[in-house]
Amino acid sequence: MNHTNMEHLLDCIMDIGEQMLISGAEVHRAEDSLQRIFAAYGTKRTDVFIITSSMVVTIHTTDGKVFTQTRRITETAADYEKLHRLNELSRSICQSRCAPSEIRRQLDEINTGKTCPLWQEFICYAVIAAIFTMFFGGGIAETLTGFVIGALIRLMLLVCDRTVHNKIFAKFMSSMMATALAALAMHTGLIPTVDNVIIGNIMTMIPGIGLTNALKDLFVGDSIAGLLRTIEACITALAIAAGYFAVVFLAGGSIT
Amino acid sequence: MKQIEIIQLGAVLIGAFCFGTLFNLKGKKLLASAFGSILSWGLFLLLGRVIDNEPVNYFIVAVVVSLYSEVMARLLRTPATPIVTTSLIPLIPGGSLYYTMAYAFESDFSKFLAKAVSTLKLASALALGILAVTALSQLIFRRWNTQRTGIKLRSTGSKK
Repeated sequence: MNHTNMEHLLDCIMDIGEQMLISGAEVHRAEDSLQRIFAAYGTKRTDVFIITSSMVVTIHTTDGKVFTQTRRITETAADYEKLHRLNELSRSICQSRCAPSEIRRQLDEINTGKTCPLWQEFICYAVIAAIFTMFFGGGIAETLTGFVIGALIRLMLLVCDRTVHNKIFAKFMSSMMATALAALAMHTGLIPTVDNVIIGNIMTMIPGIGLTNALKDLFVGDSIAGLLRTIEACITALAIAAGYFAVVFLAGGSIT
Repeated sequence: MKQIEIIQLGAVLIGAFCFGTLFNLKGKKLLASAFGSILSWGLFLLLGRVIDNEPVNYFIVAVVVSLYSEVMARLLRTPATPIVTTSLIPLIPGGSLYYTMAYAFESDFSKFLAKAVSTLKLASALALGILAVTALSQLIFRRWNTQRTGIKLRSTGSKK
């Protein structure tokens, strides 16, 4: 493979890695895939360094040329259908060693794949909140309240996403809103206690994927990436707690 | 089987479908996650009748469900993370976390401390269970992958 082609290849493979991280891959999965692909193309040496927000890859070709590229990852959105297809793509690249233009074409196809539509997300948030309110022992009225607040949480996350671009702050605001609305519902006599409704709504915001990935990365030796993710998940959990505390403080120490 | 347990099993099933949809899981992967959630909560309820120790039960369920997810992930050739996360969501100590927060505002310090410690125990049991299986599958599948593809990767850990 000549030099322009090699550079083009590096560019495409970096994009695969980037999209993997965005759609929710563990860091060691992305590193593994990139290593394997470059090994399949017969590079002399490949150095891949990835953390949750940045990638650096240097390849040494057999004829002594060196190429480096970096990517900055700023957003993540769990999309496991996309990750599944990216995995398949990287596996098939290892087998076929196809040309960069072919990789680019398939990558574009994956990037335009169907994601979970917004209205479905609204329903999912509402149902999750309702179902976990019931799960923790809530009655009919509480379940229905949970349903409404769950949908409103998604709305709050959407509003925050469009205005402040800060996920931690979005979680804080949502938690605050959920607590305040639950307290309001109790004081108007709609529901007997706030506990189950708030727990059910907290379940929609818990950073489950983040923590699972953090644990996996930590164990397989990607300590930096694992720690970053652990801290991120802990701060998210703190933001949720802070939202609750803020409402209780404003209400003068008790919302019941 | 008590009525609340049936409600809970139904709830985790629907919950798993919703979380799966949010993670954009499709077809068999979604079904595998839904079954995993039933497995995790059902096993937890069963264990509760035999062993009277919640953290231990959490650990056992986490190990079994993680194993299940790793196997399903290999069968469906997909990452294990979404399956294990959706399956273990009912075990997330959201309830005890909330009561820890709530007790923080009551003057009863011992109640708060007891709840905080129990939440921490449950969360660590869950984490340890996932870790144990990840460790195991890394040992097995890393070697297997190397043999299958003939590509040897440098280890990420420290080398002697």
